[in-house]
Amino acid sequence: MIADDATLSRLAGLAQRGDRQAYATMLTACRSWLLRYYRRKVPPDQIEDLMQDTLLSVHRKLASYDPARPLIPWLAAIARYRFVDHLRIAYRDAADATLEDNTAVVEDEEQAVIARLSLDRLFEALPQAQSQAIELVKIEGLSISEASASTGQSESLVKVNIHRGLKRLASLIERA
Amino acid sequence: MPDSSDAFIDSLVADLKPVAPLRQGSGMALALAALLIGSVTVAAMLGLRRDLAAGHPAPLALTAAGVFLVLALASSWAAIDMARPAVGTRREGWGWTALMAAVLPGSALVLIASNYLAGQPIDLDRSGLGCFAVGSAVGLITATVLVVWLRRGAPSSPARAGLLTGVASGSAGIFAVSLWCPHDGLLHIGIWHGATIIAMGVLGRLILPRVLAW
Repeated sequence: MIADDATLSRLAGLAQRGDRQAYATMLTACRSWLLRYYRRKVPPDQIEDLMQDTLLSVHRKLASYDPARPLIPWLAAIARYRFVDHLRIAYRDAADATLEDNTAVVEDEEQAVIARLSLDRLFEALPQAQSQAIELVKIEGLSISEASASTGQSESLVKVNIHRGLKRLASLIERA
Repeated sequence: MPDSSDAFIDSLVADLKPVAPLRQGSGMALALAALLIGSVTVAAMLGLRRDLAAGHPAPLALTAAGVFLVLALASSWAAIDMARPAVGTRREGWGWTALMAAVLPGSALVLIASNYLAGQPIDLDRSGLGCFAVGSAVGLITATVLVVWLRRGAPSSPARAGLLTGVASGSAGIFAVSLWCPHDGLLHIGIWHGATIIAMGVLGRLILPRVLAW
């Protein structure tokens, strides 16, 4: 269970004024949220790096948070931005990594919020051929030829779909 | 929880410095100041239109200047708001304003095409290049303000932020030019003034994403 959004907003407001204790509590809560957020779409061995990259962005862009607004949609936008960036530079060594749907059980309200802000939601906005190509190559780590055989798309089409899909994902970061 | 993660958080906490949250109002105040500086600079260096100085502005020139001003404000607002990302935020209002402003170059193009088809092609006045050059140069003041603001923030789509910055800069620049430009014909305003906004938008879209990525 992480702190509710009102508490997080208050902590972030205090952190912007230089309160280190509030900042530590906020970052710890953000870490828990991010670990669950990334779990469904990021191989386990990459989650820690991605989570730290995201927290670093939170740190560098703390001024971009408006304390009058809820914190989670801001955190989700930063998490999505880093995720799409991560997909762009994903290495082939993710090939052997497998994704486990080991999402923790969360309360209904929290689950609803996460679902609305989730990475799955982002992928829903893509044409199926694009999301399939990205999932197979950039997330599951298949080679282009393996993805081509799996989807029935030609190798060049797989590449085109990845390119177009990543471009579209980058334009949809704030989509609810 | 991994120790490295705790240590990482500790290092971020140790590095914390107070930051002023980016307020929409502060950003708009800066954008308005840039618009004002550009307008005053044009008026001081090139002078005001005669009809404007006399207090009897030509209707079309006045209308067009108003449209470009609204576009500058709407696109600046959207660009400034992009510095503060949040899933679920929609910023589509500026698009309708841009569509409204596009009526001016659109009408000019229809006029050119219809005259061409009627066998009476229109010669485009080359003096518009001056408006284009001055508008682009003055627009750089707004562009600088918006880029600095956006780099402090976290625009989730640097490409869109670049486009918005370009459109805002071009329309702010051409609004300033409208105070001086002696022409009040639809062709001149639609083509040359419209081209300034389009060119700045394209340049912003092409050049700025690399500057605004984070």
